[in-house]
Amino acid sequence: MIVLGIDTSGYANAVGVIDGEKVLADFTFEARTDSLEKIVSNIDFALRSAKLVLDDVKGIGVGLGPGSWTGIRVGVTVGKILAFGTSKPVIGVPTLEALAYGARNEASLICPVISAGTGDTVYAAFYRAKDGIVVREGEYYVGNAPGLAAMLKEPTVFVGLEAETYSGLIREALGSLKISIGALEAVPNGAVVARLAAIRLEHGEGDDALSLTPLYLKESTARAFLGRYAGNAGVRD
Amino acid sequence: MLVLGIETSCDETAAALVADGEVVLSNVIATQLDLLRKFGGVVPEIAARRHTELIGYVIKEALDSAGKSLDDVEAIAVTSKQGLIGCLLVGVAAAKSLSYSRRIPLIGVHHIEGHIFANRLSNPRMPVPHVCLTVSGGHTMLLYVQDDCRYELLGTTLDDAAGEAFDKIAKFLGLDFPGGPVIDRLATKGDIKAFNFPRPMIRARTLDFSFSGLKTSVTNAFKDRISHNEALPLPDIAASFQEAIVDVLVAKTMRAATERGVSAVSVTGGVSANNRLRKVFQDTCRQSGMAVFFPELSLCTDNAAMIAAAGYARFKMGETADLNLNVFPNAPLEV
Repeated sequence: MIVLGIDTSGYANAVGVIDGEKVLADFTFEARTDSLEKIVSNIDFALRSAKLVLDDVKGIGVGLGPGSWTGIRVGVTVGKILAFGTSKPVIGVPTLEALAYGARNEASLICPVISAGTGDTVYAAFYRAKDGIVVREGEYYVGNAPGLAAMLKEPTVFVGLEAETYSGLIREALGSLKISIGALEAVPNGAVVARLAAIRLEHGEGDDALSLTPLYLKESTARAFLGRYAGNAGVRD
Repeated sequence: MLVLGIETSCDETAAALVADGEVVLSNVIATQLDLLRKFGGVVPEIAARRHTELIGYVIKEALDSAGKSLDDVEAIAVTSKQGLIGCLLVGVAAAKSLSYSRRIPLIGVHHIEGHIFANRLSNPRMPVPHVCLTVSGGHTMLLYVQDDCRYELLGTTLDDAAGEAFDKIAKFLGLDFPGGPVIDRLATKGDIKAFNFPRPMIRARTLDFSFSGLKTSVTNAFKDRISHNEALPLPDIAASFQEAIVDVLVAKTMRAATERGVSAVSVTGGVSANNRLRKVFQDTCRQSGMAVFFPELSLCTDNAAMIAAAGYARFKMGETADLNLNVFPNAPLEV
């Protein structure tokens, strides 16, 4: 089954095309040279390089984030409107899960970490590899990297663009506590998003294109402000 | 030729189907009034998130309510110039995805040109050249419309847009959001001469506008009474404040028309729905033998039918965009 996967959450346009276990195309267009407005052209380029057209694609996988808010909005909009325009199924893939999947051969617990872009906040979650896929354990985490230390109970490998930095901070926060920590540098990848989408499509799953929404994990500053002062201002969400 | 228009430049998620740039088959607008009321204005990040949630539904509704399918759509027109960058990006991403997946042409449209074409949709026989006043919460602009798609900027606001002044005064007076329709309604019960507010720049040599000083003089006049919780003569304030804005808008537009020697003016944008503005324009134009045109009410505020109409005109001129179409939040109207 030919599946297209895109992810625009990480200040780069990742586009991949797979057919079963085979990767037919896998590109990461850096934001420096190919920015967000080129995502549809990038998709066309990836399909052409695999000698395919959009009609050959049986499903579309899209990275939901978390990551760049503008990035995930554009990526999810493209994913769902391409699906609407072609009547093909669309699958939203959490970007943290895609990062964790890249580390599925690790025996330890897997913790993808993505910078929230403001201050020292990160998005993270814990996954365990099982039968070739990864399963999330517990809730998504939004906080600073050292805060993850308090949640560690077993050997863990951190995955992401800044995995080295974060694992250093966490090791520091652990102090004398001896828990083995690893770091695996990785960025969101289109072929991985396509692969995770294909797994769900093979199980007959699909998302509703029209209602598909990014995974922001964090409310906008204005809404957070309003929420905090809701009692005083008499406003409700 | 059936054109699907998409507009997400500010806080309305809109899609519409227009045939041959003339016949509106559907005009779907999802407003964010609930959010506007809660936050007292547009919060760009929140508006952009709402666009992403709604865009697919709005496009589908534009097709369904017109009894058409995607197979019938022959081109996509989308607002790509002027607006909030995060909001524009959602509409443009959707438009490109449809253009690519349906293999139909993509056309980028300037938001202000859309407003000008709202009047063309409502008044197919509106003559050119004429002078156009575009007035909304985001713009106050006088244009010489030489021909369809050929403009000359005559004047613009130096600070607040007229609609913005309405919103800010309404907020100051503790009225509902958006302020325009509320003040319009209140003013019908008030005296336009109750307070003598300034008419900023009405005699200035340029055709530019300024509404920030008017706003300050209204707030200064009632600050003390509000802080002492005294009841305000709201209808009188609304009527007098609105009259000051209307006087300036009409005077400058008429002067521009005279200077340019045209026999027609058009008024468009959200504030063109204001009843008093329409009345004074009609009276003034009747006296001076000038024709005046307004869009029908459903086409005054932001909508996608006007974008489809403008896109059709641009397409006929041979203008299409490629899949790398970018957004330009502050692009001037090309003249």
